[in-house]
Amino acid sequence: MHIPDGILPISVNAGGYAATAAVTWYSIRKIKQKENPREGIPKASLLTAAFFVVSWIHIPVPPTSVHLVLNGLLGALLGYYAFPAILIGLFFQAVMFGHGGLTTLGINAVIMGLPAILAYYIFRLRKLGGKDSPKKDGAFGFLAGAVAIGVSVAIFVGILVTNLPTDFISAEVERAAIYTLAIAHLPLLGIEGTITSLLVVFLRRVRPGILDGV
Amino acid sequence: MTDKESDITLLAGGRVESALSVSGLCFSYPDRPNVLNNITLNVMPGERVGLIGPNGAGKTTFFLSLCGVLEPSAGEIVLLGKPVVNGDFRPDVALVFQNPDDQLFCPSVWDDVAFGPQNTGLSKDEVEKRVREALATVEGTELAERPVHHLSEGEKRIISVAGVLAMHPRLIIYDEPGANLDIRSRRRLIHLLQGSTETILVASHDLELILEVCNRVVLMDGGGIVADGDPHKIMGNAELMEAHGQEKPHSLLPHQVPHQYFCHPTIARNV
Amino acid sequence: MNLGLDEYINLDSPFHRWEARYKLIGLITLIFAFSFVRDLRMLLAMVGVTVAIYVISRLPASFVLRRLRFPSFFLLALVLTLPFLSGQTVVLSIGPLDVHREGLLAVLLIAIRFISILTIALVLFATTPLLTTIKAMRALGLPGIMADMALLALRYIQEIGQDLKKMQTSMRLRGFRKRRLSLYGLRTLAWLGGSILVHSYERSEWVYKAMILRGYGHAPHPRAEFQSCHRDVVTLGIFLLIAAGFITGDILFGHGVSALLQ
Repeated sequence: MHIPDGILPISVNAGGYAATAAVTWYSIRKIKQKENPREGIPKASLLTAAFFVVSWIHIPVPPTSVHLVLNGLLGALLGYYAFPAILIGLFFQAVMFGHGGLTTLGINAVIMGLPAILAYYIFRLRKLGGKDSPKKDGAFGFLAGAVAIGVSVAIFVGILVTNLPTDFISAEVERAAIYTLAIAHLPLLGIEGTITSLLVVFLRRVRPGILDGV
Repeated sequence: MTDKESDITLLAGGRVESALSVSGLCFSYPDRPNVLNNITLNVMPGERVGLIGPNGAGKTTFFLSLCGVLEPSAGEIVLLGKPVVNGDFRPDVALVFQNPDDQLFCPSVWDDVAFGPQNTGLSKDEVEKRVREALATVEGTELAERPVHHLSEGEKRIISVAGVLAMHPRLIIYDEPGANLDIRSRRRLIHLLQGSTETILVASHDLELILEVCNRVVLMDGGGIVADGDPHKIMGNAELMEAHGQEKPHSLLPHQVPHQYFCHPTIARNV
Repeated sequence: MNLGLDEYINLDSPFHRWEARYKLIGLITLIFAFSFVRDLRMLLAMVGVTVAIYVISRLPASFVLRRLRFPSFFLLALVLTLPFLSGQTVVLSIGPLDVHREGLLAVLLIAIRFISILTIALVLFATTPLLTTIKAMRALGLPGIMADMALLALRYIQEIGQDLKKMQTSMRLRGFRKRRLSLYGLRTLAWLGGSILVHSYERSEWVYKAMILRGYGHAPHPRAEFQSCHRDVVTLGIFLLIAAGFITGDILFGHGVSALLQ
């Protein structure tokens, strides 16, 4: 779901950078308002590195395999540290592997990062309603993971299809392209949601403190 | 070793101020009570104290309390004449962690060794001087520009020591410094420890290392101090050692035949 | 494990010698100028400039080819779809499918821009240690929290990557094979990922202790000092001129400011 360099016009790339700068500024402000912002930095940094590495795990999805994004879980665990974390992760990916892009760093951060913050709020909702159980945590994990990816796919498809340097032969073709791309990513929602749910249940069993955020 | 001011502070009446004074120290984790149970210990400047004991005896918790990272539930700690306050930055006391990877968090060696001095507000030149000296002391000068993750286990160990030496501490605590080292690195570490002029506390399962480095041994078990005194006397007491999950070090065991005859038939014949 | 980036930082070329901050500004500006270009004639100039820069950097050809492998799948997808789905002028018919001129040109535009930008980015990041690049970004105004997080993350990616490899080896040696998609398989992989997260989280608690024991936060951390010379500034000037040339040229060749609004 990274948009590589060379496709989008400079106006969209610039807009992406502007939005990213604004959200990053806001996130850093929220971080500085915490009681001990410095304590969160090693946690957020090492989890950024960990998520970076975990995304290398191949999940078999016949006939091929996919790499997970896990921006939902990242948002759930890191809260407002998630946006800077994702920005850093995307930067490293672009620099180390050529995945994603540099001109599109801002746009890609918006695609991955805003849903992560949304996932943070969704995951927090599990505290409502009193009863605390692994099933409940797992369900909210699924929701956070699936919604984050869903929103990411929506933004990705929307931006890509409407900003190609050429016009589709007809509006129907454009709509068909959008639907095809979106539907092709649908299985991802199920897989990311499932893996996020399984991860949340694992973390709750092994190190529940990690679910309370950084 | 570099020249340092004397660690001995004379109190009124000519008495020497202790480097470390612990009285009635207690600490519990939420899920583990009495991890430290009424610990009382006095260490004089220049002493080299070895801390031995089984896993779970409370050694690491004790060290973290001494440095002000963990707040004890009871008791008092006075370090180099000043009480230890939780959260205070005390550059005069340093802790070398069991796992160097937990401590070497900067991407390059130079950055990591410079980290401590930079936080004490020193000038750029003074920081550079400290880094060069610390690296020279641990014989790690050629590693200065290397990324940390390119270092071997032994190199990581000596750089983690350099990182604390650069702060010019007066008391250094080593938590299992010999773990995962090969023979050569271990010997290098022993030389380093033997050459230190600071007051040192060394926790280790490597009892031979303790024998070579320390002039005093404290045996800990179950959160308390079980024995405190001469290394040969304590570690030579098989019953005491075995009662607390230890063994008498090999070099203190009585030998029918001296070592050098035992190891190789050719050598034995030629002696 | 080799993340393959700092492999060629010890070569010697004008780019290796160019001071990091100036290099960042100069080459990033050029990259953005490239992303502005739409005219096919300017694309030719783009290819020329890119090749020249890469040759001067002394980076081996195999390096950029290796880098092009993964992103090429996306490009391939566009190559295989755009000419059929977009454009008005039909140039070729393959059975029921029509190939359109505008679609082909769009693909050409995307491909050339993409490869050029990726190549320039490679020259930017492979001729300086990544650590230095991040410090340069800090010197240019990157917020301290971002720089700290980036440096810490960079430090531990290698270690955590090695932990992952060791665990995967252990799983394989105990018979785990991920061939089919199954709940058992997903759960096992989730446990693998979860272990990595927990180890990292626990390590971070020790790292924090190590940091505060050495005074983290006690005094403002000095920014890295960079030594620059005349040549660094002049080189920056040259690259800014080249970038301006591309933008001006593209506007003059007819796309104008409306290109910005597309």
